[in-house]
Amino acid sequence: MTHARIVGGRHGKPDSLDAMTGVARFTDDLVLPRMLHAKILRSPHAHARIVRIDTTRAEMLQGVHAVVVGAEMPMRYGIIPWTPDEQALAADKVRYVGDAVAAVAAVSEEVATAACRLIDVEYEVLPALTTPEAALAHPETRIHEANRHGNVTKAVQLAFGDVEGQLQAADLVVEGHYQFHGSTHGMLEPHCAIGHVDGRGLLTVWSSTQVPHYLHRELSKVLGIPTHQIRVIQPLVGGAFGGKSEPFDLEFVVAKLAQKTGRPVKCLYTREEVFLAHRGRHPFDMHYRTGFTKDGKILAVDAKSVLDGGAYSSFGLVTTYYSGQLLGSPYAFQSYRFDSTRVYTNKPACGPKRGHGSVQPRFAIEVQLDKAARALGIDPIELRRRNFIGENSQTINEFHIGSSGFLECLTAVEEASGWKERHGKLPRGRGLGVAGSTYISGTNYCIYPTELPQSGVQICLDRSGRIRVFAGTSDIGQGSSTMLAVIAADELGVELDDVRVIAADSDLCPVDLGAYSSRITLMAGNACLNAARDLAGKVRDAVATKWGCTKREVLLAGRRAQRLDNPEVWMPIQEAFILAECAFGTMGATGSYQTPKEGVHGEYRGGTIGASPAYSFTAHIAEVSVDEETGEVTVEKVWCAHDCGKALSPVLVEGQIEGSCYMGAGETVMESHGVMASGLRTDGQRRDPGPGKEGLLAASSLLDYRMPTTLDTPELHAFIVEKPDPRGPHGAKEAGEGPLHSVIPAICNAIFDAVGVRIDALPVAPEKVLRALREARKS
Amino acid sequence: MLRLSPLHLHQPRDLAQAVALLAEHGPQARLIAGGTDVLPSLKLGQTQAGVLVSLRRVPELLGIDLQDGQLRIGAGTRLAEIATDADVLAHLPALAHAASRVASPQIRNMGTLGGNLCLDTRCRFINQSDLWREALGGCLKSHGSECHVVPGGQNCVAALSSDTAPVLIAYGATLELLGPQGTRELALVDLYGADGRHHVLLQPGEVLVAVRVPLPGPGTRVAYRKWAVRKSIDFPLVSVAVRLDVAAGRLTGGTLAAGALNPRPRVLDLAKWAGRAVDADLAAELGQFAFDRCRPLPNVPYDAEYRRERLAVEVRRAVLELGVIPS
Amino acid sequence: MSHRPVVRISCTINGVAREFKAPPMRRLIDVLRDDLGLMGTKEGCGEGECGACSILLGGEPVNSCLVPAIQAQGADITTIEGIGSPGLRHAVQQAFLDHGSAQCGICTPGMVITAAWMVEKKLPADEVARTLAGNLCRCTGYSAIIEAVQAAIVAAQGSRG
Repeated sequence: MTHARIVGGRHGKPDSLDAMTGVARFTDDLVLPRMLHAKILRSPHAHARIVRIDTTRAEMLQGVHAVVVGAEMPMRYGIIPWTPDEQALAADKVRYVGDAVAAVAAVSEEVATAACRLIDVEYEVLPALTTPEAALAHPETRIHEANRHGNVTKAVQLAFGDVEGQLQAADLVVEGHYQFHGSTHGMLEPHCAIGHVDGRGLLTVWSSTQVPHYLHRELSKVLGIPTHQIRVIQPLVGGAFGGKSEPFDLEFVVAKLAQKTGRPVKCLYTREEVFLAHRGRHPFDMHYRTGFTKDGKILAVDAKSVLDGGAYSSFGLVTTYYSGQLLGSPYAFQSYRFDSTRVYTNKPACGPKRGHGSVQPRFAIEVQLDKAARALGIDPIELRRRNFIGENSQTINEFHIGSSGFLECLTAVEEASGWKERHGKLPRGRGLGVAGSTYISGTNYCIYPTELPQSGVQICLDRSGRIRVFAGTSDIGQGSSTMLAVIAADELGVELDDVRVIAADSDLCPVDLGAYSSRITLMAGNACLNAARDLAGKVRDAVATKWGCTKREVLLAGRRAQRLDNPEVWMPIQEAFILAECAFGTMGATGSYQTPKEGVHGEYRGGTIGASPAYSFTAHIAEVSVDEETGEVTVEKVWCAHDCGKALSPVLVEGQIEGSCYMGAGETVMESHGVMASGLRTDGQRRDPGPGKEGLLAASSLLDYRMPTTLDTPELHAFIVEKPDPRGPHGAKEAGEGPLHSVIPAICNAIFDAVGVRIDALPVAPEKVLRALREARKS
Repeated sequence: MLRLSPLHLHQPRDLAQAVALLAEHGPQARLIAGGTDVLPSLKLGQTQAGVLVSLRRVPELLGIDLQDGQLRIGAGTRLAEIATDADVLAHLPALAHAASRVASPQIRNMGTLGGNLCLDTRCRFINQSDLWREALGGCLKSHGSECHVVPGGQNCVAALSSDTAPVLIAYGATLELLGPQGTRELALVDLYGADGRHHVLLQPGEVLVAVRVPLPGPGTRVAYRKWAVRKSIDFPLVSVAVRLDVAAGRLTGGTLAAGALNPRPRVLDLAKWAGRAVDADLAAELGQFAFDRCRPLPNVPYDAEYRRERLAVEVRRAVLELGVIPS
Repeated sequence: MSHRPVVRISCTINGVAREFKAPPMRRLIDVLRDDLGLMGTKEGCGEGECGACSILLGGEPVNSCLVPAIQAQGADITTIEGIGSPGLRHAVQQAFLDHGSAQCGICTPGMVITAAWMVEKKLPADEVARTLAGNLCRCTGYSAIIEAVQAAIVAAQGSRG
């Protein structure tokens, strides 16, 4: 009897039935007895010192149980341990409109809101710096007093090879100024957290987070209690995309208020608070010079970038490295230099949004390549092929590239889109553009220095012939729990429905670092595979003993243990599990994953950041139509081919590809997160509205922050390419973030094909296209 | 999340009772029908009301009736119904189109024609949370004393962003009103005033009962054009209705009615072009005319200069469409 | 806490006659979630801008975050809990499962509600995208959802033959 492997099969997400029937439980669906509700008071000033805070009136309001202010949790923290510049609630200064200052726990949200209005805060308003230019020009106005370098939060300069020499030698140097705007995650579930303290002082925090382990550590640090006194549970999460990958004020608030009141406390963000929390795409201002031979080979890349970091560091240290470090592939550079500066500004902090720090430089280089292709008369896909770095190679900044399906990705989209017949040949107003990219499958190093495994999984076999998988992984909708079930079921010969995955409960599950940097499939998948193989070996052992054959002749598949050399001989898997338990005792195993340390990265300072056990590869072609009279760009179709190594669940991988294309397209043409231009007069001239009026978000609702609806989304065509990497479980690499990157430059390259103008400053907007068309007509 | 503040709500059973309640409660009372505009506004503390008077159960406000050369549409008729009604589609297709473009299907299932006509004015400095407006320091319409759109301005210039108002103005609609003084008829164009704080010029205690639209004659064609960044959910950033009256291939008259500009729609008479053939030249001139006479402000959240240019294009294209001229 | 007048409201929810007391302006989504334990309806924005809270009121999709409780009086309401039943999936639920239409699942109840309406009305395939244009999804890019709804409409018609 042949049995289709579960790995690679077209199964969906078994747990999605819960969502379709309304029984799925997200954090705000949890209700505890005697639960109180918390609301947070936020600063109306972009930059101010907190002179005095008086909560007396709030405390006296009937229905209020406790109030907390910043001074009660003064410990500074930060998701990156080297940049702890945040406090749970601002104690001495507020640094953006919306910075949290105090919180109230009360019997209802209405009472808590009313109480917040009764908290008296005296501010000393300070000058607000809302652009990197202003922040760099005024280092004396220190957004963070402890910062040693004015308002620069991080600066990275790295150089490899002789860039100037190579640029001199180049037949063509392409120079470009690229501006990438801010955008935010826009997950449909707002952040929510619940805190609860039991009779022995054990604190439990439920949170819509994608990093329960890091949250656990920071709760311990800020509250000053040991981690074993804290339990963190992550219920279902309604989308995250990097917007929930660090601790937020509400998590500390509910914990502290639960301690103070002795009752469970829930805090749910309003939609506006989600926009204020942000931690989204850094705006980048980039100057690129790229030197090519006349055959299109890249000799040198010189990149200078300024990152607008917002009020806090968040992951900014990493972002600054990624802004250059992730460009070394899929094209080989003969020399490379980048200079990136991240700057504090008095705005909501920027952080990791899908494709963290890599999407912006990818945009620049892919447009540079398109310009070069045009200038050299080389087809843009051919140009990319010529520069492909190759599998099992090393980037100029010394990252090891394992498997790469980049060429296959290019071919897939080339064929699917009819590129050869159509690029450059469509009627005016219609165009095709191509771009490629790569992304990490997890980072080689944990955020904090440790020798401990990045992921651990425990599997238990049940006497009913079923499996329980315990993993600290964070399923944020990408299907990580399904992925683990697939691996376990496949190895142990059961069906997907026979596996229950219990995830993200710090009391029950081994540590996994969380859903960020696209790490879970490779890392937790490997840990799971290790544990599953361990158990499968024992089961096969026990069965082999019974049959008098060797272990190698026992196959576990399709709810059976089967003899390979004689398929008539089999037993139900339940029987096999019981045999194993009788032979070996209780059947449980753990598996761990630690990233390889040898030959993965260079030894220079910063050389580890961007290093990954394996990289995914992507190619995009976009087809656009441009209305030259209105400047409006419609993204008609997107073809995306993504090398994920091995699609453990093709349906889930396709979902990630399509979702990434959707999000990237939205970011290119209609989404924008940032503050209103200060004091814009009707004649378009700027005017300073005075202190305290700066730093107001242009969009803090789902009406003003325009995420594409069904009618705004292009036709999406997803193609899975499989180039298994030996470091991935069954060869699998990431698929959650890679497929977003190159849709953005593909769209802009398509605009050029359509109407001959470049939009190098995002987002693409009709007024920019009109302006560019007018400029083009003049010259 | 954004909970509603506790308000007293009355549900009059008929129009007379509704009017009586409004008279009783005076300026404290606010009318609510579908609630899709009033409720977000109340929740964000943008308007205050002590008492709500719901029009949902008032039967006199319902119904679409073809009678005596006109279509009478009850103000309480839902937008979803107007978008698909056979008589509206047959006689006032631009109105069906405009109604179908309001917001989202869910909102169209709740929102009413009267509500859309009486939509509160909108501005990027007003339609924000309490925190945001506090940080700004308020504005003329929102607990403050300065206008951030027109520095030094004393008049609120928030924009009426109704999709149905421009098109019904173009169709020459009139309103049936009922107040404590009795019934009144008013041309729709005269419903709106220039102050964004008080742009709907109903008299105290007055209710908008129905909209009457004369059936267009054979030579009358109306088009409604809406531009927004997204094709659903969004309020219009450009909103214009074009009416052409044509006889023997020549224009005899017409109207441009543009919204999303000011508290009241900009209404332009096209008498100057009477006698002209409806051709590409006319289309271009009317587009330029719209450009010259309409000045979008930075009240609505999109680049004002672009909205002005886009308005001109939409007018030009509407004229081509109405004249069935290839563009 | 200030006294808030409450009214008694009788309606039908998911085919069952229900009665509850609530301040007339309490949001229907809060009545459903907090008072009646029907947690399936989700809130994404509270302002009618995302559609996550969609329910059927009088058989038609509306945003429950914008509906005052008083409007439920005498009404026929269907929430996600009323779509399909244990052991008998609605055509939409089966189609969503088959097409991988749910990723994080937070928009799914609202999508299923609107989709169920489309199946009931036998909407033609080319109207599906437009009818879903008031329901935002951040995960899927919509294609899996639209295909599923189109398939469900076809399947439901077939099974009635």
